[in-house]
Amino acid sequence: MKIHGGWTMAVLVAVAAPIGVDAGQSPVSNAGVPTVVEVRGGTASFDVGTNIPALRVHGKSSQVEANARLREQESGILLTEVKAVVPVRTLSTGLGLRDEHMRRYVFATSDGQTPDIRFTSDTAECAMPSRQATTCRVDGQLTIRGVVRPFAVALKLTRDGALYRAVGDGLMKLSDYGIPLPTQLGVSTSDEVKLHLEFAATPGVGQTVATTGGGR
Amino acid sequence: MTRIFIIASIVCSALACVAAPAVALPTMIRLGYVDCAACHISPQGGGPLTVYGRGIDEAQSLRAGEYKPLENDLTRLLTLRGRITEDVRAVFQEQDTWTTGASARLFRPRLMYRNVSDLGGGFRVSAILTAESSHAPRPALPYDPAIGGTTGFVNTALVHYRHGAALEVAVGRDQLPTGVNIPDLGTFFKARNRLGYYDAPTQIKVFWAGKRYHVTPFAYAPGGNEAPGERERGTGALAEFDLLGHGRTVVGASVLNGTESSGSRRTLGAYTRLGFGSWGVLAEHDVTTRARDVTAGSFGQRASYGQLFWAGREWLVASVIGERLQVDLPFEQRLNAGKFELAARLTSFASVNGNVRVQRDALTGRVAKSLAIQASFKTVY
Repeated sequence: MKIHGGWTMAVLVAVAAPIGVDAGQSPVSNAGVPTVVEVRGGTASFDVGTNIPALRVHGKSSQVEANARLREQESGILLTEVKAVVPVRTLSTGLGLRDEHMRRYVFATSDGQTPDIRFTSDTAECAMPSRQATTCRVDGQLTIRGVVRPFAVALKLTRDGALYRAVGDGLMKLSDYGIPLPTQLGVSTSDEVKLHLEFAATPGVGQTVATTGGGR
Repeated sequence: MTRIFIIASIVCSALACVAAPAVALPTMIRLGYVDCAACHISPQGGGPLTVYGRGIDEAQSLRAGEYKPLENDLTRLLTLRGRITEDVRAVFQEQDTWTTGASARLFRPRLMYRNVSDLGGGFRVSAILTAESSHAPRPALPYDPAIGGTTGFVNTALVHYRHGAALEVAVGRDQLPTGVNIPDLGTFFKARNRLGYYDAPTQIKVFWAGKRYHVTPFAYAPGGNEAPGERERGTGALAEFDLLGHGRTVVGASVLNGTESSGSRRTLGAYTRLGFGSWGVLAEHDVTTRARDVTAGSFGQRASYGQLFWAGREWLVASVIGERLQVDLPFEQRLNAGKFELAARLTSFASVNGNVRVQRDALTGRVAKSLAIQASFKTVY
């Protein structure tokens, strides 16, 4: 069974990193000072349709890890050196055999290795006009199975007291990475994969304090 | 006489719990399987699986193997080079039921032949034939007589026409479409709404599916095995919608309007199938307004069903189920039931399940308990 969505996870990871950065920032106390922020245990999920109307494939990882530098500016939050990783082994679709196929047919390199999914972004700026919520675009590079492609994620950040909540969505195409559409016994996935990410973090802690699951 | 009738009704009701002509698994909503069409050839579920469905069947078994269709001269002959999908299914059920002053034991072996033949041009025919030595009719009620079983029974005989992936029309004999679509025909909302094992009316139904919706209008007429005066005909429809678009949050509504010479019934129902990865919820509530020629006016019947399930392993699903039935005067009934069920898929061709059920009559205080075990085997190639 080759119905996979692992790419999505990668995207999610990418999303997670920026989110983590935002979440770790305190717009008041850290103003102007670059801060290293870490995110662990973020939740990323993916959703892909198939050629059967009654079937969609979902996958999820709750072990997204990321770090970045962030700096508060007058215009909002500046993220730099964003790095995020989704361990391929943590991706699960709920079907063990499908997960095995996903790792083998989507994420394995020609020499049999399954490198983690990585996202990097040199810089991203998130305006926070209300200091309560913002939506920003994080551009970077997503690496899957050694193939690097540009990738962007739309993030929505909400400040809830000392807590930052982040939700991100993105869209990717398997074909952009040269991955044949996963097919199993006549059922194949769509080329487009939806990605979803949810984080919550406290400023300065550098660690996700709550995840609510993607479930897309 | 009344006491005997009540006891017989309770025992019969409990025995009906083991009736299941085909296995549909609405619990698959937990993995984003919105309805049965992904794995079953028939969009209504039950019956032979698609090739992909056979793959899922094997993958979700204890063996967790990989399904590869057999390719040899014999299978090419049996399937007419892929035009015929068929299997033979053997089901062995043992159920013990206890109630005040009575007990019953049922051993019900059944043998089923299930066939789907592709005729080309979008047409196919399907059939499920059952041979059995013991019968499990739904409860015989003063306002709704049971349909008796026979040694040989045609559960399904349909001609289908499929237009693309979204539209299918089926004509023939089958069970009527239902909301939650669980295989247990003994539940109140099925057994009290003419959805028992031997209810197979003649019908025409349309399955229209989109990415986030599924609509099934149908019209039906007697199947031929009903009692005199109970030869019902009518129309109905199901309509369901995937709320969040993720394939795991389905809500739906059903309506049915049937008439016969002895009375009529009108049913409105609401149901949901919710999946959350390893667990989920199935629920349905049906309100039926009935009229009988022996009553001055109409009376109501309300049946509720709720199931919380958890797949501790892909092959092992545990469920806690609650049911409630209320029937108004002059046939007043107040029944509550709870059930714990464990279903294990050992391989794609062997599965076992067992359940413990307790039912209480709120009017009489009478309690019926039952223990059931079922082993199923089928051919897979």
